[in-house]
This record gives sequence, C-alpha cells and structure tokens, in this order.
Amino acid sequence: MKQHRTSRILFALAAGALLVATACSPGPAASSPTPAASEKPQQGGRIIEATITDIATMQPVLSNDTSSARVINLIYDALLIQDPQNGEPKPRMATFTQSSDGLTYTFELNAKANWSDGKQVIGEDVVTAIKAVGKSKKTVRKSNYQDVQGFKDYSDGKANTIPGVKVDSANPKKVAVTMTKVSCPAILDLNTIQPLPTQVFGKYVTDASKDEIDTAPENAAPTVFSGPFKFAEWRKGDQIIMNKNETYWQGVPNVDQYVYKVVANQTAIANGLKTGEITFGTIQAKDLADMQTVDSVKIQKYPSLGYTFIGWNTASPSATALADKRVRQALAYGIDMDAVIKAVVFGEATKNVSHHVQVQWAYPAGANLEPYKFDKAKAQQLLRDAGWTPGSDGILQNSAGKKFNLTISTNSGNQERETLAQVAAEQYKGLGINAKAAPEAFQGLVTKLTTGDQSLEATIIGWSLGGDVDPYSIWHSSNIPDPAKGVTGFGFTFFKDGAMDKAIEEGRNPSNGDCSTAARKKQYETFNKILNENQPYNFGYENNVLAVSQKSLQQFAPAPYATIYNVHEWWIKP
Amino acid sequence: MREFVIRRLLYAIPTLIGISIITFAIARLSPGDPIRLFTFGVQNFTQDDYNRLVHAYGLDKPLPLQYVDWVTKALQGNFGDSFIYHREAFTMLTERLGATLELAIAALILQILIGVTLGVLAALRRGSWVDNVIRVLGVAGHAVPAFWLGQILIIVFAINLRWLPSQGLLGVGKSQTDVLDYARHLLLPAFVLALTGIAIYSRILRTETLDVLSQDFIRTAHAKGLRERTVVYGHALRNALIPVVTALGGILATLVGGALVIEQVFSWPGVGQFTFQAAIAKDYPIVQAGVMFTSTLLVLSYLLRDLTYAFVDPRIKVK
Repeated sequence: MKQHRTSRILFALAAGALLVATACSPGPAASSPTPAASEKPQQGGRIIEATITDIATMQPVLSNDTSSARVINLIYDALLIQDPQNGEPKPRMATFTQSSDGLTYTFELNAKANWSDGKQVIGEDVVTAIKAVGKSKKTVRKSNYQDVQGFKDYSDGKANTIPGVKVDSANPKKVAVTMTKVSCPAILDLNTIQPLPTQVFGKYVTDASKDEIDTAPENAAPTVFSGPFKFAEWRKGDQIIMNKNETYWQGVPNVDQYVYKVVANQTAIANGLKTGEITFGTIQAKDLADMQTVDSVKIQKYPSLGYTFIGWNTASPSATALADKRVRQALAYGIDMDAVIKAVVFGEATKNVSHHVQVQWAYPAGANLEPYKFDKAKAQQLLRDAGWTPGSDGILQNSAGKKFNLTISTNSGNQERETLAQVAAEQYKGLGINAKAAPEAFQGLVTKLTTGDQSLEATIIGWSLGGDVDPYSIWHSSNIPDPAKGVTGFGFTFFKDGAMDKAIEEGRNPSNGDCSTAARKKQYETFNKILNENQPYNFGYENNVLAVSQKSLQQFAPAPYATIYNVHEWWIKP
Repeated sequence: MREFVIRRLLYAIPTLIGISIITFAIARLSPGDPIRLFTFGVQNFTQDDYNRLVHAYGLDKPLPLQYVDWVTKALQGNFGDSFIYHREAFTMLTERLGATLELAIAALILQILIGVTLGVLAALRRGSWVDNVIRVLGVAGHAVPAFWLGQILIIVFAINLRWLPSQGLLGVGKSQTDVLDYARHLLLPAFVLALTGIAIYSRILRTETLDVLSQDFIRTAHAKGLRERTVVYGHALRNALIPVVTALGGILATLVGGALVIEQVFSWPGVGQFTFQAAIAKDYPIVQAGVMFTSTLLVLSYLLRDLTYAFVDPRIKVK
C-alpha cells in the first residue's frame, strides 16, 4: 500500500480498477539479469512501455497514480531504493545512517549525483522537496512527514523553517532529518518524494510562497533531471517522450529514448507485445496461453506485492453471522481456493492466509499459520457450532429462524473479481449459505467501504503493498470508520483486537526503540497470527505478475518491488 | 436576420443554465466521493488529510454555494483545477479539442463523400441489386454499435493484416508534422464515427434524388436534349443536396458527441475520451467543463443549421 502505487482512480478509469496490481505466487524467483550480461551492450534504440491511463503530473509531491510514478521515477532519482526482491531500503542517490537514539536519519548524497543542468544534487534539494510537501495543499503525502520535527508547524503556515531538516554546514551533500519519535517506517516514508532541483522549485517554497507548487508549470513540463531519462515532450493523452540523460550520474543509459504510450486497455497491451510495438509490459493471466505461442517475447513470472481478498463486515447488522469467528473460519475452510484460483486466474496465483505476502520480509513464514485447507465437513461443523443449521429449504438458519444470507460485493468491470465473487458465492451455497454476488461501481464501493457503510456484508477488493510493511492504516483499530462521527478509514471489517493493535504499534513506534528487522518481524508474527485465527478477511490469493518483454531487450530483470531500477543498463540487441 | 441570431442566442442562455444545473447535480449526486476515490489505499492517510483535501477542493461548502462559485468563475473562463491533473480544466480541454475536431471533420468528409455517392447511386439504380445492397449497408450502418465495429476493425486491419495502427494519434517516433502517419491513425476511428452519417446521408440522398428526378425542370432538361450526366449532376444533385447542407450543423454536434465512444475504443486523445475518463474518476471540474463545452457547441450548431438552411434555400425566411 505504498503511496506511489495507489492510483485507485486512474486504475478505475481504465478497465476495472486494479487496486492490487497483481498478486503473488511462489513462481520462479524474479529473474536475474539475462544471459546476455556478458555481452557488450549496444547503444541506441527505444523502449516503448504502454499505459492504460495518461500520466497526471510529473511533480512527485502531487503524484498519486502508477502512471505518473513511472515517469517521475525515470526522470528523478530517489535517495534510496527498495531492494527489488525483498523491499529493504538500500542506498540509491544517498547513503543513510541512523543516530543511536533512533530519531535522526542522516543522508549523504553520492558525490557523483548531479542534475542534468550540471549542478550537484545537494542536501538543499532534499529540503526543497520536504518544504514542497509542506506548502502543497493538494498532496496526499503530508502524513509521511508528520513526525519530522517542525514539519506540522511549517505545513500549517506557522513557521518558515523546518527545524528537523538540516543541511550540514560543512558538507552541502549531507542532510539530517530528525523525527519527534522513533518511527520504523520513517526511512521509507522520507524516501517518498525525490529530491527536487532547488534551482527550479526553490521559488515555490520561499517564505512568501503559498501553494504555488500545486500549479507550477514545471509540474507538467519539468526542465532539470536527476534520473536516467530527461523529459522531452508530453503529447497529452497519447505519449510521453523521454530522451536519455547524457549526464546521468550512474552512467549514460544505453538506449536513446523511453516512450510511455497510452493505449486503450489490457488487450491493446497484449496485442502490442505480440506485434513488437511495445517493448515490455505485464499481461493478464487470461492472455498467458496465447502469449506463450509468440516466439519473439520472453515471459517472466514473479509474485506480486499484494493480494485479493474477501473482507467480512464483522459488525454487519444484516449478516450477523459474520460477527462470529467460527463462521468466518468456516468461510475459509469452506472455499476451495486452489480451485477458485484455477477458475478465476488460470492458476496464476497462490492462496494467501496472512496480511503480509511472501515477498515481504515481514511474511510470517515460521509462525505456523493455519493454512485453511479446503475441508467442507469442518466448515459445516464450525457453522453448526456457531448455531447455524440447515432449514427445510436447505438454507442455514439460526435458532431464531434467521436465514444466513450473504451478499458479496465487488467493483463491476473487473472481470477477475466479478468471477471470484460468483465462484465464491457458488461454493458458499454448497455450505447452505444463501450467497450472491453483487458487482457495483468502484467509485461508490470505495466510498461505502471507507465511510463504514453498513449495507456492505462482504467485499472483494485488493491491496497493493509497497513501501514499508507497516499495516497500521489498514488494521489498527484507529482506522475503523465511524459513520456516526464522519470518521473514515480502511478498517472496513470493523475487526479489532487489543493484542493486534499493540503488535502494530510496537512494529511501528517500538517502546524500546528497536526498529531492527528481527524485532519488527516478531511483532508482525503476532499480528498475522491474530488475523489468521480471526479471519476478518478471507485472505484470498496473491497473483503472479506476468512480465512480457521482447527477446531483444537485454538486462530487463523485473522483480516484486521494482521494474525499472536498472533501466540505464538495459539495451536492445539488434 | 440579425434579430433572429440575437434572439436565438438569448434563448440559448436559459438552455445553458439548465444544462449547467443538471450537469452539476448529476456529477455531485452520483455515488462516490472523489477524495475517497483517489486516496483509497494511500499509506498513512489520515482523517486530517481527508478534511484538508475536501477543504482545498472546496467540497466542504454547501452544494448551492459550490454551484454559484463554479458558475461565477466559469463565466470568467475558469472552470476550476482538475482534481487529478491539478491544472485548469478548460485549458486542458482545449489541448484536446484539436484531436476531436480533426476526427469529427475527417468523419464529416467521409460521410459526405461516401454517403452522397451511395445515395445517388442507389437512386439512379433504383430497384437494382446495387440499390438493395446500399439499403442493407445503410440499415447495418445504423444498427451496428460503434464500439463493437471499432474492435472488429482493429482486429482485422491492425492486428491481423497490420495495415493500420490500432491506437492513438501518432506512431512512436513520429513527428507531430508527419501527416501521413496521422492519416493512417485517423482512418479507422473516422470511418467508424462516420458510419451512422453515411447511412443517414445515403438514405436522404436517395429519397431527395428520386424526388428531384421526377420534377418538371428535370423533364425539361431532358427535353432540351441535355446529356444524362449534366442533368443528374448539374441539376438534380444540386437540388438534392439542400437537405444535406442543412443537416451539417446538427451532424457536427452529433459527431463531437459520438466521438466519446470512438475515442475510447481507439485511444484517441480527444475531448470525449478525456471527459469520459474524468467522469469515472469523479473529476468534477473536467466533467463540468466538458459537458458545458459540448452543450454550447450543440446549441451553436443548431443555430448554424437554421442559418444555413435559410441561406441555401431562399424560400425559407427566418423570423
């Protein structure tokens, strides 16, 4: 659920919103660079990637969709990079150290890191980026910096400086960021916005500036770059053209040009890959068999960073059965998820039983989670234990004669989820539950979910998990919506558990200040065990990402956390 | 004539006010909250963030006040900043207007060229197999949904035969001035967009031509010993074209409206596609600007039609 992967709107625009870009499976691990690694890279050529929606902006502060994020990542380098395989933060444009009290992060920018106009990338550019977040009224990123000392006052217009962000007076390449409390996700939260060229954006973050950063012309036509490519032209609604950055600090890219081309839908992407018009892209499982017959392409599978699930409204006034843990467990045992995966995504997914997925370091591999193997008899037993027995019509009912009706909602237009809803409803009918699928428009569904609309009983949707592994926004009880108070949040199952809250808090802001992976992993084992036992979601499945590229494209090695991280090394074999 | 134009323009004002109210109301009352939609799943997103954004976009004011705000600014040419693109909505529409107009004009030319030819041909070969084939094609042109035909043409001409591109305005690596590449991209969407018009024009032309051919002045022309070609093209066709010319105004508006579907199918970056996508994303400023723009165009087109009608047929007097 990382920020730059959350373009729900634009996803919805396209063809049925993919909240979850895809999900994962233990397919072959992301490929290592191709055998051509030993060959001498050829210079020249063009990479064409397709997108279903046009970009919205090239301003990192305002970006909130995957298309914009792609272009931004090509033209602006970030301080850090998440390891493509496991997501751990690693140096990119900067190295980082943490103070012994855990409160201060010091970033030192690489001596070679420079802007395309010849200037050095310096600590002041990091300050400019953080100030830009503070000045912006339209950004959705403020919360990522909320724990930086003095940020809130700056953002509220009460101060002209952010005391928690200081450039080293002796070394302009060094910048220290001090937090108000130890926050384990902070290192990745601080990496959300790339350093911005002060020579361009500095004028929008002066003491006198208001929110001019939101409408800066350079947001749509940037002029100075730190990434491997330089923006050249945005043909609105059609394509974005970027040329290689000849002064790129990690080495000049091998290819001359990168074009981000807007196409109508996923089918157009698959067709473009077949004809060679598109250099690389991901396809849907339904197109895999067809793509495997194409000689000119290479297909790489890897687990995605997210999952598709059925969320149960444990406080539903109509489907009261869902309040009972035994019923929710029965709904896990009572669905043959492996068969569902075959029916819905042609086997290109893996059953999931926890919030953290296999490619995340927080995945509770050793926690002995209940796998919820399909066991209809056990499901029926649990339902009986919970007081639900078949009536004369075969439908389950409780002692008061109330029938077990269940409506499974999902966003219409998303073929995969609609099929999943139908298949799940059919399987639950086999348990005696009067289940039905109810697709509805994404816009309305999302609003209902986040506002805690009690008309929803069960909902199929997905999470895309990037950035830090912190599950606070989804699972902490403070994020449960409260319609009466107008409080919104992503805790739409209404499930809460004191021990789970504690584990989330300790994994986020540990009382002993220990943000080590080992310490956090322990908290997340507890967290996932509680979820696994209580089943507020049926955790569904993790899709495979099916990455297709032309065989001529060398060094293309996509992985769960990153695709274009090594784009400057890519080359095209004639 | 001047009085007529002024009066028609005045009539347009209540129409446009009505449209603005309906557009505003439909956008706001349809299910879904734009802020919740585009922040769904954003990590660390808090209630404070939500409240701040609602305020920043002016969505915390009462609806009537929001409407008045919008209309006041719109009259000054400012339709508000897009929620997604953070740029002024009308400016963004005008950036896409060229693509839509080019598509509409190309479709119009195809409609006239093909529609008129088929109509005249059907009239001259009345009752023959040619007439029957054209009639069947006309019915099909009316009945076939554009989005379906678009997909079929893409499969046949772009994917299987690879004669024409399937998507977009220009090929990758092509300059904005590459007219040939542009024309190749334009052909399929323009044809699909033109289809209904071709069906309409061929039917009108067939009826009108037959009607004109039976009139006295045509008999006189024949009696004078004029050649068949001169009679048909010099006398009959000119008169039969009157309803075609008068239909132009309305057709142009229909084309711009029809482009909505076609632009989506062919990923043609015009006003229709842009407005449609904004509607799904609940990007109110763009939706409102798009609908107001198209509606104004429609109103002006009908005015143009009435004026053209009076101009080409002096028997009609505008009052």
